[in-house]
Amino acid sequence: MIQYVAYRLVIMVPTLIGISLITFIIIQLPPGDFLSTLIAECEASGQKGCAEQIDLYRQEFGLDKPIWHQYLIWVTDLMQGKMGISFEYEKPVSEVIGPSLWLTIIVSGATIIFTWVVSFPIGVYSATHQYSWGDHGLTLIGFLGLATPNFLLALVLLFLANVWFGTSIGGLMDPEYIDAPWSWGKFVSILEHLWIPVVVIGTSGTAGLIRRLRANLLDELQKQYVVTARAKGLPPGRALVKYPLRMALNPFIADIGNLLPQVISGAVIVSVVLSLPTTGPILLRALQTQDMYLAGSFLMALALLTVIGVLVSDMLLAVLDPRIRLGQEASH
Amino acid sequence: MIRFLALTLCAHVFASLTLSPAAADEVPYWEEMVASGELPPMAERLPSEPLVVDDGREIGTYGGDWTMLITRSKDTRLLVVFGYARLVGYNTALEIVPDILESYEVKEGRIFTFHLREGHRWSDGHPLTAEDFRYWWEDVANNEELAPSGPPSILLVDGQAPAFEVIDETTIRYTWDKPNPDFLPALASASPIFLYRPAHFMKQYHADYGDTDQIAQWVEEAEKTSWASLHNAEDDMYKFDSDSLPTLQPWTITNEAPAQRFVGERNPYYYKVDAAGQQLPYMDQVLMNVVDSKLVPLKTWSGESDLQARALSFSDFTFLKEGETHSDYTVNLWQTARGSQLALYPNLCVNNPVWNKVVRDVRFRRALSQAIDRTELNQVIYYGLGIEGQNTVLPASPLFDPHYREVYASFDIDEANRLLDDMGLTERNSKGIRLLPDGRPMEIIVETAGENTEETDILELVHDHWLQVGVKMFSKPLQREVLRNRIFACETLISIWFGNENGIPSAAMSPSEFAPTSQQLFMWPTWGQYYETGGEAGRPIDMDGPQRLMELYLAWRAATSGEEREAIWKEILTIYSDGVYSIGLVAGTLQPIVTSNRLHNVPTEGLYNWDPGAQLGMYQPDTFFFTNGDDGRP
Repeated sequence: MIQYVAYRLVIMVPTLIGISLITFIIIQLPPGDFLSTLIAECEASGQKGCAEQIDLYRQEFGLDKPIWHQYLIWVTDLMQGKMGISFEYEKPVSEVIGPSLWLTIIVSGATIIFTWVVSFPIGVYSATHQYSWGDHGLTLIGFLGLATPNFLLALVLLFLANVWFGTSIGGLMDPEYIDAPWSWGKFVSILEHLWIPVVVIGTSGTAGLIRRLRANLLDELQKQYVVTARAKGLPPGRALVKYPLRMALNPFIADIGNLLPQVISGAVIVSVVLSLPTTGPILLRALQTQDMYLAGSFLMALALLTVIGVLVSDMLLAVLDPRIRLGQEASH
Repeated sequence: MIRFLALTLCAHVFASLTLSPAAADEVPYWEEMVASGELPPMAERLPSEPLVVDDGREIGTYGGDWTMLITRSKDTRLLVVFGYARLVGYNTALEIVPDILESYEVKEGRIFTFHLREGHRWSDGHPLTAEDFRYWWEDVANNEELAPSGPPSILLVDGQAPAFEVIDETTIRYTWDKPNPDFLPALASASPIFLYRPAHFMKQYHADYGDTDQIAQWVEEAEKTSWASLHNAEDDMYKFDSDSLPTLQPWTITNEAPAQRFVGERNPYYYKVDAAGQQLPYMDQVLMNVVDSKLVPLKTWSGESDLQARALSFSDFTFLKEGETHSDYTVNLWQTARGSQLALYPNLCVNNPVWNKVVRDVRFRRALSQAIDRTELNQVIYYGLGIEGQNTVLPASPLFDPHYREVYASFDIDEANRLLDDMGLTERNSKGIRLLPDGRPMEIIVETAGENTEETDILELVHDHWLQVGVKMFSKPLQREVLRNRIFACETLISIWFGNENGIPSAAMSPSEFAPTSQQLFMWPTWGQYYETGGEAGRPIDMDGPQRLMELYLAWRAATSGEEREAIWKEILTIYSDGVYSIGLVAGTLQPIVTSNRLHNVPTEGLYNWDPGAQLGMYQPDTFFFTNGDDGRP
């Protein structure tokens, strides 16, 4: 096991280098750079003399150097833990992302819990009551959530929440709490706003989980050992939870690899539509304006979390399911 | 000019006789700080002769926070745009009047003498003096590290920078060899040139003045590359993104990006008072909440903005109107002032030799213009509320003549067909599409940035109109940067883009949009680039009409009298309309302005324009106030 983990850790280095190269190239692919966006915006608002500042900026941000040189600067900084400067905010990237991080974690965490809490019991019910009215009904609801465009659902919920409960539209709290210190009022205000993104983002994920759990569980429930256990008079609840359910859980654990980056990135589009103060909109904006260090460092952070997450889920799987043998894979 | 000066002088004498600033009560917002001695009383904070706003506005009451919605943190600059404290600024009649300056004199259009107000202070209480101007000119604009490209080009006449003099503590002078008519408009613009800096504050970041070790430490902390980039980052008076930089605007920013909400706090040393001697602004704070632009109409509808125009468009009007009963606000429609909301730009430098010859033929451009049914565009896209015609000046401009707008802008298929036949483009293929001289069908690709449905909707209609004269049109959406680069490289045949920015010029405003003065004018990018770079890049003009426009533009710059300028303007407008260098469509579209019913002094009719006007800035938001000083929020 230890050998396996060490091997995986070593493999991470070339993986991350590869990812960093691809990330950088993709960000640079669209024509122009941050400054062309800057000029375009500047002129779109009707200002004059926009071109004058450009050479100055180009020098300052090192955009006059060849691409490979820019890449080297970025990567060397990253290795020293510096995420570079965001062009748009003219601040270190960490300062830009930092403040929105904890709200992102709250939203994503709540969403994941919501998804699990909803889909887990439904999945189990659907599997044990296959082809019943309940199975069909709940599955239909799950698929409705998957099929409804997220942004549309978000706008409708925002509007209804405002009309019915007087909740302010968008954001994660009423505007007056934005800079205020923590208080009961602020907490309640966050709860009032939080349910919309959680429901919107969550519903799109539930259908998938329900179906996977249902399918896996159905496989297990047919097997001999379950039939034997039942025949020997084990109570149905225990006969379900002891082995079949545990086996059916594999997809949940395997998902952890994707979970970590999700927690940090948030659901980008929904966050933009709902004006959530999370990291998603910052990332989107950085990509649009080719704010390359901000976008690049952010994507690298996500990549790192994915790689770590996959490792963690692999290890958990091994613990959970003795049939999975890691050592053999590593020796190939 | 002299008459105007006399008038302002009278106004000041009158003001100083009728009011003693001490008579007005202290601003409640500052009461505690004044009582505890942290802040001097109002009379000592104001300049000895404050600017008195006495144009028949309501006298207001202090208090309340102006909540508005912005779409990204960069929009903190709106506090500078809307605040509109300028050395000189436009009044609502679009005349340039002294603002931060107590007065100014212009001799021969080239010697500008500025007089500051005695006792005028920065928002941190430090006096504003000639030193602040000297610092910017000598230590910033002419410092090779801070400004490698030298002073802004608008301050150069034929490449020559002005001579700068400090006459005394409150008087400065800029002298050129030749007239510089762009100077005052550049100071009054929505994003102005700032000739001054808070020298006492900025010097600590300047290598010539500050403590070297301290600066090195700050550079390190901010992860900057040099002291110059640190200085430039701290020094942006327009971006308004530093909470420590002293300012002269009515509200000062109190927090920095990234944030979800930006707060502007009233400037205790602001230089304007109302007719009763109360220090402006009336509203204590400006709260700017950052939301996605798609949410702005919805949030405005639910009453979460006190005064909103940004990110609202005409298509939101009915929805917003419906919200009037729900949220206690009123929607007004203001005029916009582009020469044309959108216009088609035939690229006169297009590389394809066959097309190049065709596009340069004025008959072709006139034919395309006359083959567009502008009435239909107006009805379908703008509910018939726009003004149809060429991309030129609007009726609100003193230079307006209906001829400029109407010529070659009527829908006349027969005439358009005749013009094209006249050019010898009589051959058609089996589908009825005309053939170019080299036998290819006449298929025009109109390139667009494709950022809104308005552009594509219009092109869809124009497609049908042009088909009637045997011209097939395709539209091609591109990313904005790509579109721009293709136009600059003369790859694009025709593009669709916004019309002229300033549709309401007076003779004193620059006609630069009507001549090949900039690469950004999409009908003649290479000629514009040639002018912009002083002949280093681009190509010289090789067409008679644009050549004449350029000569006229240079003549306008050299002109010293108003009559001369007006005559030049009229000739420019005539040539421009005659040559159909850009094909205008519909202008004068309307901008919804949502105003809380508690808010006073916001005009119900107005002009919503970036420059001149600074959108709301020209209407002086520092004089807007809430009923009983209460913004009606919990």
